Amino acid sequence: MNILIIEDESRIAKRIERMARNFFSNTLTSLTCIDTLNEALEFIKNNPLDLVLLDLNLNGENGFDLLGTAVSESFHTIIVSAHKEQAISAFEYGVLDFVAKPFNQIRLDQAFNRVILKEKTDSGNIKLLAIKKRGGIQLVPIENLLFIKGAGAYTELFLINGKKELHDKSLEKLEQLLPDMFERIHKSYLVKMTEVKEIIVKSGSKYMAELKNGELLPIGRTKYKDIKAKWL
Amino acid sequence: MNLRFVYQSILVCLILLVTSCSKSYDNNYIRNENFYKIGDQQEWASIDYDDRDWKKNITILDGQVSWARTNIEILETPERFRPYGINFHHYGEYEVYWDGVLIGRNGNPGQEATLAPSGEMWASFFIPEDLTKKGKHVLALKRSFLHFPDFAGGFSFNLDYYDNLHTYWLKYTSFMHIFAGAFLIGSLYFFFLYLGEKKNYSMLIFSIICFLFFALIIMEFVKFYVPIHYSKHHVRLEIIGFITFFLAILVPLYFTIQFQFPKHKSILLAYLAVLFFVFFRDHDAYDNTAYNMAVTMWILSTGIVSFGVYKKIKGASIVLLTLLICALINTFTFYDTGLFVGFGVIVLGMFYILAINTKEQRLAYENSLVQSTRLRLELLKKNIQPHFLMNSLTSLIDWVEESPTKGILFIEALAKEFDLLNQIENESLIPITQEIELCRTHLEIMKFRKEVDYLWDEEGILTNERIPPATLHTLVENGITHCSPLDDNTIRFKLIFENNGQFKSYTFLTFAKVRHTAKVNSDGTGLKYVKARLEESYGKNWSLSSTATDQGWKNIIKIYN
Repeated sequence: MNILIIEDESRIAKRIERMARNFFSNTLTSLTCIDTLNEALEFIKNNPLDLVLLDLNLNGENGFDLLGTAVSESFHTIIVSAHKEQAISAFEYGVLDFVAKPFNQIRLDQAFNRVILKEKTDSGNIKLLAIKKRGGIQLVPIENLLFIKGAGAYTELFLINGKKELHDKSLEKLEQLLPDMFERIHKSYLVKMTEVKEIIVKSGSKYMAELKNGELLPIGRTKYKDIKAKWL
Repeated sequence: MNLRFVYQSILVCLILLVTSCSKSYDNNYIRNENFYKIGDQQEWASIDYDDRDWKKNITILDGQVSWARTNIEILETPERFRPYGINFHHYGEYEVYWDGVLIGRNGNPGQEATLAPSGEMWASFFIPEDLTKKGKHVLALKRSFLHFPDFAGGFSFNLDYYDNLHTYWLKYTSFMHIFAGAFLIGSLYFFFLYLGEKKNYSMLIFSIICFLFFALIIMEFVKFYVPIHYSKHHVRLEIIGFITFFLAILVPLYFTIQFQFPKHKSILLAYLAVLFFVFFRDHDAYDNTAYNMAVTMWILSTGIVSFGVYKKIKGASIVLLTLLICALINTFTFYDTGLFVGFGVIVLGMFYILAINTKEQRLAYENSLVQSTRLRLELLKKNIQPHFLMNSLTSLIDWVEESPTKGILFIEALAKEFDLLNQIENESLIPITQEIELCRTHLEIMKFRKEVDYLWDEEGILTNERIPPATLHTLVENGITHCSPLDDNTIRFKLIFENNGQFKSYTFLTFAKVRHTAKVNSDGTGLKYVKARLEESYGKNWSLSSTATDQGWKNIIKIYN
């Protein structure tokens, strides 16, 4: 586990560090503390990371600039902030958790657990997916999303307008962030169930989901029962 | 918008008033020129007398008796029981003959040397009905001018129904007196306003202008109801001349102040010179001199107001409009009315500016109240805003967990800062020592949070100086936010106070590494608060500079004496 802590209050940074070391103990490969925005951006660009803990107010600068970049990356982001009122917008951007200051080990462990147990966020508030584009970050509204296909460590986002975008996060990570209407129907597919017209049973117990636009997506044999119970 | 409507209605009423006043007599007669002759013979009054050798222009020496004859053709026989009358505007003492019949006497012509002065400048006489039948008639006057030597002896008269002669001037005078009364009240009102706000000289000037204008109208129309002997008449004209002179100085001065006209001293001096020249060049031609002074004043005022329009100063265009209306009225009405109504319109324009300014001042005052409240809230918020409070509490928890003794010190520092802020929350100025204590306490807290060694230095501080609350505190906060510590993990702050007689200055230095110079601009929330506080306490007499230096950051607050 590679962790980056972005926090300008040194006492608090040390506290997070201590708690992270406690929690992850020997699974931890690296842990870095950075207290400025630019250094953090540079670090993210050049180092593999699994988790970033981000303070939204860094030396008087708005951490949302950094947040856009952070959430477009492959790692999960947890916000640790004094500004509780920013929680909703942070979740809209697709953060895994929002830990309000002051916090204790129990609350931070809860957030860390979400990372390792791959639990879904309980807010379900995500509104946007940030994707990396040449020249910056593009924000794709969730309502424009049709389904997501896993492609190794990356994912492909299929949009309602027929376009396809790449995202750095894995299908597992996106599944954690996206609301309940996104269902993992197959090991490689995450589908917005409101876009599914019907489920077709083919010969040899093959199941397909037919989307409103006519596209057919496979349904995993093991997933079919759950989906049937939940959606039909 | 409402104000403008009222103002425009007043203008319309005024123009109606002017047009109603400028309606002249009905011309029910045709008059010939006046002819004069020196000497005194009773038959010169006669209708049949042959006056062909009489002259149009003569010079009359002291006390000489002379006669004047005028042929008049009456176009319409008067209504029954409603006699015609004749009204004179005439210097000298005289007897009036109509078709050879003595119809009135104004003083004692020819006997002025022996008798006391009697008679008045404006006199009306009625003419017996049977003498004013349609047709040709002769007006003859026997006059003497002991108190007005070397006088050519010209005069003017009006002939109309006797009652018309009186009611016409009665109406005219009463209208103008209503006008005068308004300006008297205006004068008193603005004088009282000035008494309440002694620094506001434009109020005082305006009050004087209103009063002079009131006096001008009264002096102009006093002739219709206060008998003035012709020998005293120049006194009235002198008074009118001087009033006009002072008005011609004060009106442009007022506009200069209201429209922030630059370099006003040199221009006003040049203007004064021109005005003196106009005033004394042809001083005895009273009416003409007054009129020329008014025109001089109009030209300068229009220049100043045009400048105001160019500078887009509020109300300038409306005042320029009134000046143009004033010029327009002058071209369309007869002499006196043009002058007075023209003046009146200008003064109304001034009223308008004052009303606008009063409104602006009220708004500014209300705004300042809101601003003060806002600043108080901002001060109160400083320590309860989540960034400060939650970060402090998180650090505090961590300290308590690690070292309860240090935790207690931290709590004490927090308590002290809260206590200090509570003490100053309602003040707009606090002792500098209290402000410094606030800064040092804040640094104490930040030491616990950031684990940076913050150092405080001061130089030349006078303990009796006062400063708006939390201004230096805000600069300290900025220093902590925007700077990172030097290699020895310190950030040093230094406050230097100087007073050079012209201004007091607080130089506040931060010795540290500046994180990102470009992003620290002068409009950050922190500096906005400092500026608003300085403005609240010192108006415009302060300056604030905030720049990066080789060693860190430098803020200079100057407060001008």
